Amino acid sequence: METVLEVRGARYDYGATQALAGVDLDVGVGECVALLGPNGAGKTTLVNLVVGLLAAKEGRVRVRGGDPRIASTRRHLGVVQQSLGFPNTLKVGELVTGAAVRAGLARSAAGPVMAELDLTDLAGRRAAKLSGGQKQRLQLAMALVAEPRLLVLDEPTAGLDVPARKRFWQILAERRERGTGVLLTTHLIEESSAVADRVVVLDRGRVIAGGTPDELVARLPDRTVTVRTALVRARLEEIPDVAWVRDDGDHVHLGTRTPEALLRVLLAEDPGLTDLRVEGAGLEEAVAGLIERGAA
Amino acid sequence: MNANVFGVELTDELRAVVREPAALFFSIVMPVAFFALFVSLFGKFSSGGVSAGTTMVATFGAFGVISVVLMNPGIGVAADRERGWLRAKRVSAVPIGVTLAAKVVAALPYAAGVLLAMMATAAITGSLDAPVPALLRMLVVLVVGAFPFALLSLAIGFQVGSGAAAAVLNAILIPSAVVSGLWMPLSIMPAFFSDIARFLPTYHLAELARAQLVGGPVLTHALVLLGTTIVAAGLAAVSYRHARS
Repeated sequence: METVLEVRGARYDYGATQALAGVDLDVGVGECVALLGPNGAGKTTLVNLVVGLLAAKEGRVRVRGGDPRIASTRRHLGVVQQSLGFPNTLKVGELVTGAAVRAGLARSAAGPVMAELDLTDLAGRRAAKLSGGQKQRLQLAMALVAEPRLLVLDEPTAGLDVPARKRFWQILAERRERGTGVLLTTHLIEESSAVADRVVVLDRGRVIAGGTPDELVARLPDRTVTVRTALVRARLEEIPDVAWVRDDGDHVHLGTRTPEALLRVLLAEDPGLTDLRVEGAGLEEAVAGLIERGAA
Repeated sequence: MNANVFGVELTDELRAVVREPAALFFSIVMPVAFFALFVSLFGKFSSGGVSAGTTMVATFGAFGVISVVLMNPGIGVAADRERGWLRAKRVSAVPIGVTLAAKVVAALPYAAGVLLAMMATAAITGSLDAPVPALLRMLVVLVVGAFPFALLSLAIGFQVGSGAAAAVLNAILIPSAVVSGLWMPLSIMPAFFSDIARFLPTYHLAELARAQLVGGPVLTHALVLLGTTIVAAGLAAVSYRHARS
């Protein structure tokens, strides 16, 4: 497969702290790869290598065959950050037009992209005054106007409502059909399950698992027991049948390969438990389980 | 990287001048008002056949240009860094040097504005006694000679927040201006001020500017400013590499 991003054996450390311990990662033409992992897994460092903010201490990072530390290579890159504060003095139209000129394109290239992202009516508005969702659309417009071959999206839909998210991914799907690869980092794992062709799970600076969302879920034969219980997390983690515990503040989710045995223990220790559900694991549970096991 | 890209970067920076005119007050009105006060009080005194008002155009002009070039780029880059805008620029296809150069060049209209306003004020009070070519030479010397201060400004802007940058840069600017005789002649200041001033680039820039109006040696001042530029460029490069995100 032709790749737009190739990372080979990338290592990076911050002094004594190793952030990346030899990471390999590819993004193919038109492919969307979601990079998942807990905080401190090395996602941000890896993204910073890909966008040229950092240089790998060992290994190599190539965007369309070029080093992203070199400005001309970044011509192929589009980046959408989780949150970006725009200067108070610049207007929406000026920013998109400026992005087109910076990419070596005509100013007129801005118009269609602004229309595509419903920004035309906001062209005269100061960017700093936009809502969070409008700012994300503006960032995407500035990235897309340059016709990038690789889009790096860092929590791109944070703060967007559901229709805006749908529209965001719809636009990206159209770009992917035209060959733009996407590297996505997000905490919305189920969203990445819906949009990513492949998921790469990073933990403690290493790739511990990779594959399609379905492949990752299949690797984890666990079932998820969801329940409201008075039992504290520490006690739940002690139960031999529990592989992992996730607490969303409302319900507790327990991974297990032996749900029947687990249910017997739970009912014995907390007869008042409510809202009991037993399900197959989703991607979120699969990722949590893979990290728990340090899967390779 | 073509001129269009630099043009876009510069235009973006200049829009800030037009759209946030409050900055003009601190950058131009304050130094010029300060100058107007001093020149109206002392401008007609004369020393060595040259009016004080003429030499004050050079010394206060140096202060005005340095304050603009020292404050604006550093505070701007610190604000850009805080809001994530500098990161967006660093990952774009535009070399960061182009972006930073635009930020520095955008400060030059302020610098020229300060100088022209001071010259006009001195002329109105009847204390300006220098030919136009000499004044133009001085303007060029001050604008070009302020370059190391822009680099120092960027070095600080890469490391601290915008509020702290304003405080740190003022803490550098004001004592340097006083000790270098930019506000009051060193001849009426305690002797140790002169001893310290020789080590300050602010002093050498003012002297180089003064030499354009009243004559005098320039080589030492020019060499000190060149050395300062090299050191400031090194500081700015190291600071950029270790810029806080």
